[in-house]
Amino acid sequence: MVDRKKLEELVELLESEFRDKLSFSISDINELTVEFDSVDLIVLCNFLKDNSRCRFEQLVDLCGVDYLTYGLTDESGLESVEMSEPRFAVVYHLLSLTNNQRIRLRAFVNNKSLSVSSVVDIWPSANWYEREAFDLLGISFSDHPDLRRIYTDYGFEGHPLRKDFPIIGEVEVIYDPERKKVVNQAVTIENRQFTPKVIREDLRYE
Amino acid sequence: MGIEGILNEGFITTGADKLINWARTGSLWPMTFGLSCCAVEMMHAGASRFDLDRFGVIFRPSPRQSDVMVVAGTLTNKMASALRKVYDQMPSPKWVISMGSCANGGGYYHYSYSVVRSVDRIVPVDIYVPGCPPTAEALLYGVMQLQEKIKRTNTIAKESSKSLNNISG
Repeated sequence: MVDRKKLEELVELLESEFRDKLSFSISDINELTVEFDSVDLIVLCNFLKDNSRCRFEQLVDLCGVDYLTYGLTDESGLESVEMSEPRFAVVYHLLSLTNNQRIRLRAFVNNKSLSVSSVVDIWPSANWYEREAFDLLGISFSDHPDLRRIYTDYGFEGHPLRKDFPIIGEVEVIYDPERKKVVNQAVTIENRQFTPKVIREDLRYE
Repeated sequence: MGIEGILNEGFITTGADKLINWARTGSLWPMTFGLSCCAVEMMHAGASRFDLDRFGVIFRPSPRQSDVMVVAGTLTNKMASALRKVYDQMPSPKWVISMGSCANGGGYYHYSYSVVRSVDRIVPVDIYVPGCPPTAEALLYGVMQLQEKIKRTNTIAKESSKSLNNISG
């Protein structure tokens, strides 16, 4: 069982160190989430790893999030949506074995630069995670040692996990008997809307 | 086997094509091409309970030693050219068994940006085994259907045109 008091102490420590740069929330099941602008990322991560009361020596997970359609029921008017708030965030899950403690960081990404500092120098496990976020969402990680696509096909264009990427994609492959090789061609099927348009409003979601 | 006559002298006659095609059915050596969960059912079919070896079917790790390719699972765009390369490396005569919904027509991933919507866009398919995943018995039945198909082939000629013309969009 996670000790809530221990989490609150950690929050106090971070608050005294970073003032109002961070915002905190602790869920009912005692999970601590810290939200902040990605410019403060490296300073915070170094502190979380090196401070004797933190010691988050493991990066368990890193992923990107696209908030383009967050809270919307209808995606039809997607292209006209102007984002005033940051569209992308990068989420880090950290684990401290020393203090038996976990923390979640959510760094919001600047809409114009779409760039975050890489944490590979701090936690080497971030290497492929950051390549994944780059491949699927197009978030670039500055100072990453080897930032290239990791999942998608060679020569693939676009970032498939972005909410404005058509789920059927732009191209499909077929064997060309004349050139004797597998080639790309424009996609031949119609796109379908898979997003359920029902928003549940009952007791469970209050 | 198409025996035409049993002669009193103690020998029988048949056509060379029938004899050769009959012989081929008894030693189908599949190229192991397991792509996802279908591959597990394929392994079951090969293991002791179902024992594909009873039909002369022995999995090979090399396309050079194979004459049938079992495409067991989801074929992604990135894998497609590799699959075609393996198929091209197999010596003729060769056959393809498409196993499971994903290989047959994209299946669950039909609307995905990264999945080939049927392997017959990449290689010519002889037998489609339905299911998600098909049971080992279903694959076994597919192999037996392929044997029937080969037995009904009335030629032993090199099929140079088959691999090219059978593919349509």
